[in-house]
Amino acid sequence: MKKKLVSLLLVSAMAFGTLAGCGNSNDSKKADTKDAGESKDGETKDVSLTVWSPQEDQDTGWLKQQCEAFNEAHPEWNVTFTYGVCPEGEAKDTVKNDVEGSADVYMLANDNIPDLVSCNGLAEIGGSYLDDIKANNSESIVSSVTYNDAVVAFPFTSNTWFMYYDKSVFSEDDIKSLDTMLEKGKVSFPITNSWYIQAFYAANGCTLFGDGTKEDDGIDFGGDKGAAVTNYLVDLVANPNFVNDADGAGIAGLRDKSVNAIFSGTWDADAVEEALGENMGVAALPTVKIDGQDQQMKSFMGSKAVGVNPHAKDMEAAMSLAAYLTGEESQLAHYEMRNVLPSNTNIDVSDNAIAEAVADVMKNTSIVQPLVSKMGNYWSPAENMGKAIFAGEVTHDNAADKTEEMNTAMNTDAAAE
Amino acid sequence: MKKAEAKKKRVKEFQDPYTVTGALVKGNIITKLSLLIMGLGNIAHKQVIKGLIYLAVEISWLVYMIQYGFYSMSMLPSLGWREQQKVWNDAKSIFEYTAGDQSSLILLYGVATIFVTFLFIIVWRDSVKSGYKVELLAKEGKHINTFKEDFKSLFDKNLHKLLLAGPIMGVLVFTVLPLLYNITMAFTNYSKIGDKLVLFDWVGLANFKKILNIKDGIGGQFYSVLGWTLIWAVFATVLNYIFGMILAIVINRKDTKAKGFWRFCFVISIAVPQFVSLLIMRTMLQPTGIVNTLLLKYGLIDKALPFFTSATWARVTVIVINLWVGIPYTLLQVTGILQNIPAELYEAAKIDGANAVQTFFKITLPYMLFVMTPYLITQFTGNINNFNVIFLLSGGNPTGVGDTAGKTDLLVTWLYKLTVDKSYYNLGAVIGIMTFIVLAIVALVTYRNTTSYKDEEGFM
Amino acid sequence: MNSARKKVTNVIVHILLAILAFIWVLPVFWVILTSFRGEKGSYVSTFFPKTYTLNNYVKLFTDTSILDFPKMFMNTFIIAIFTCIISTVFVLSVSYCMSRMRFKMRKPYMNIAMILGLFPSFMSMIAVYYILKALNLVNGSMIRLALIIVFSAGSGVGFYVAKGFFDTIPKALDEAAIIDGATKWQTFTKITIPLSKPIIVYTVLTSFMAPWLDFIFAKVICRADATQYTVSIGLWKMLEKEYIDSWYTCFAAGAVVVSVPIAILFLITQKFYVEGMSGAVKG
Repeated sequence: MKKKLVSLLLVSAMAFGTLAGCGNSNDSKKADTKDAGESKDGETKDVSLTVWSPQEDQDTGWLKQQCEAFNEAHPEWNVTFTYGVCPEGEAKDTVKNDVEGSADVYMLANDNIPDLVSCNGLAEIGGSYLDDIKANNSESIVSSVTYNDAVVAFPFTSNTWFMYYDKSVFSEDDIKSLDTMLEKGKVSFPITNSWYIQAFYAANGCTLFGDGTKEDDGIDFGGDKGAAVTNYLVDLVANPNFVNDADGAGIAGLRDKSVNAIFSGTWDADAVEEALGENMGVAALPTVKIDGQDQQMKSFMGSKAVGVNPHAKDMEAAMSLAAYLTGEESQLAHYEMRNVLPSNTNIDVSDNAIAEAVADVMKNTSIVQPLVSKMGNYWSPAENMGKAIFAGEVTHDNAADKTEEMNTAMNTDAAAE
Repeated sequence: MKKAEAKKKRVKEFQDPYTVTGALVKGNIITKLSLLIMGLGNIAHKQVIKGLIYLAVEISWLVYMIQYGFYSMSMLPSLGWREQQKVWNDAKSIFEYTAGDQSSLILLYGVATIFVTFLFIIVWRDSVKSGYKVELLAKEGKHINTFKEDFKSLFDKNLHKLLLAGPIMGVLVFTVLPLLYNITMAFTNYSKIGDKLVLFDWVGLANFKKILNIKDGIGGQFYSVLGWTLIWAVFATVLNYIFGMILAIVINRKDTKAKGFWRFCFVISIAVPQFVSLLIMRTMLQPTGIVNTLLLKYGLIDKALPFFTSATWARVTVIVINLWVGIPYTLLQVTGILQNIPAELYEAAKIDGANAVQTFFKITLPYMLFVMTPYLITQFTGNINNFNVIFLLSGGNPTGVGDTAGKTDLLVTWLYKLTVDKSYYNLGAVIGIMTFIVLAIVALVTYRNTTSYKDEEGFM
Repeated sequence: MNSARKKVTNVIVHILLAILAFIWVLPVFWVILTSFRGEKGSYVSTFFPKTYTLNNYVKLFTDTSILDFPKMFMNTFIIAIFTCIISTVFVLSVSYCMSRMRFKMRKPYMNIAMILGLFPSFMSMIAVYYILKALNLVNGSMIRLALIIVFSAGSGVGFYVAKGFFDTIPKALDEAAIIDGATKWQTFTKITIPLSKPIIVYTVLTSFMAPWLDFIFAKVICRADATQYTVSIGLWKMLEKEYIDSWYTCFAAGAVVVSVPIAILFLITQKFYVEGMSGAVKG
């Protein structure tokens, strides 16, 4: 008897549940078409928008302040905001599980773009919005949010790494070459992290998808030039003045003076300043001596951006908000409140040492982090290579073979037919 | 011979004289009609509430099917084809999107519909039988239960229906249904490869062929991961068991002082959440972690020990640390059983002049094995699926330069990497199924041979 | 001579136990030390902290800007209490049926349950999320309900230990009660349950712990809703690249805060725990 009752409940629960689930999506579709026809001038429309940002933006009040300002600037909408927490780097992991149930407007790191596009998570930007992006950002920043020839997010800051060093240990001249630095003090580098290790390979002429956009060219980390880098790295990890930077070892080292230079990004600025105080130095990347030649290390340059969900119920308002959050005023507020370096070229930040260093990196010591779908095959082999070198499993004897192996892995889909 | 008899007996014990075929062949017109209109037979024989409940089930199922169910099922073969569309709206300067099909949801709703329908068929059978039963009872002039009596029986004869309703519903909706959905995924090309994350298709057994093909990039790794998983599970289980038992015996010795204190020291580690203690150990054992730092400082080693960076070291490290995790549990378990070993056995051994070692191998060990086999099997299967220890400690590392699976990856952590990190959902599903097959073979073969299972058979 | 040898063995045994106990306690001790450490960061060059402070605990409970630990603690606590009630009821119900009742689906259910227990549960977490979404449970405070369901719904599968325990309670007691006119429900609640203290404690303890330990499901269900996070998501976040340096010692403090109640519960109920577990295998 009870079993029957329960089965009934179950069936009806399922029925209602699915009803509710499907109902929602139908509603949203209907709402879309209705709004398009109805929105007239002079009317205030109720809109609700969900916005995801990192916790820091909400804690400092930046996001709320900007959203409310947006609401005031647009009398045609009466927007109710819902805020959620999602760090830029985790956007793809959070969004891809349920795109429809994700925020209308969210922040993302640009390397999330290929995954987000492939799960229909980003709306393309066009018209006046696109013109604004192109007018206010450097070319490399624009290319960092362009995927398959479409701009899919509003950039607001660059995302790269550079060098922090202890001025009491290294002189301005020393920091031009990593090898000189290693003679004078302890240097920490995240060699087991694939976002960093490529700087060495890029230094010696290895390329990713040609200039970063030609998917068919593939990754070229093999051959003699790749092997030379691997050999260099084998020596590097054997150097007693080298410290691998993982799980915060670099910063901790700066603090107790067992490390004199680290490679990291703007997010560590406060911690480094606390550790080094007046002696904090910031600079673009040094050169490395590979095969007797001084070669310039080149970091990946990406951006952080604001994207719009194609499932947004009110696309017009969502797009407008995303543009507002990355507009000049918002970027300035972001910079003042959280030290987020603006990507907008009209904002002058030349009095800031870190901004200077980042500008230097962008201009001279970086390559655009490729935004092609095959880039997904780069990360694991590079990381495994770093780990193998660090573990001493790669030696001068097998460096060439291992490099070739890495290159092959980078150019094949692990699960392709 | 005996077993077959027992089986026959069991079948007879639960035999039901009121069958659907019976209703169809021998039932009167009302019973036959209740094949279509559920609950009609009950209503006709004064079981109005019961009948109405059946009817309500039928109606809600029909409503569900008409509104969503038939559509969901009709989409299953194709899994959807409409792509997301975008249209440029120049006035607003935006692209407007119309959502397309999403195969993963179509698959889920399709599976859910089949699942709901299956449950409905069970209820339907039940209603037909019930209608036939009341017809027969009425014909024979026997007592027909009122709703109140039915309800009361839930607390007595049919208590199991009351008690099992909630748990079974929970398991069906939140364990079985998701599982069925996942199994179906193994037969699709739902994967990042070829950009099949939104719209995907059925591909039959292709994924299984790929995984089982030793020459394939993924297939080759499958066998090595499978091998290590089995080695790991054997070592982790056996070593935990042996050392845990020795420890328990040592603590339980007559002459050991402060038994409670020792037990406390070992057991306290259970109280710390595993992901905390394991992550802490991971940090401690890093090349720059506290263990290496101290060893280097005191000159005991001149190069950091490669706990998680060399394949052999990493494998030994995870097994050893798993001992730290597992021995306290074995200790707790064995302590209870040790106290239950009949004292006569030991006395008899003493009289025969057996020493401690002989006593252990002749009495303690066989007794323990006899009692603890089911526990060992659970441990073994648990270790095959031991996600935490590997994921939190080594993360599967070290990983060969071109591999997706690391040297310490178990099938289950590899599955996690392939689905969560790489979005190869279909391959993940295949590996899940393969893991299950390995486990099921081990578990069923061994479990059926344990005494407790056989005792169960002759229960009552 | 013999007693001298015995003495030596005893000393050796105790030394051995001391060494082993030291190894077992060491990581736990280290977590506690770290939670009182004055220096920041995850890497240190000395075993004992250079300075001691309570600030890590203070920060954990007062600095809610980045990670609202008090809120996470309350969330987890509420979820744990309900999970533990539902799971215990489910497990005891199923175990009792499997041990004492005889019906057609009993054996099949037992086999199926064992098989279901063999699938790695996170394999289906996305599907579980969508089922919860279809039931409208993935927004706002409904997330708590969703998590309670996630942690307790499947508990009907893990009945083996409790069933083993019930099997050891003499059936004569039930039969006597039934002769006295008791219904099965009465035998269950008035006879079996009062005799099952150890296994109830065991079940309560294990199911209470589950929400504190899970670090995968909670994140999938909570998504971006930080107000619903559980403790383990918070602790996990503290180890992320951006936070690890300034939050590592707080991570240790959080770990201690979570472990203490579990440890106390565990110590008080250890006896029952042992009885519950050994009852299970007596068969």
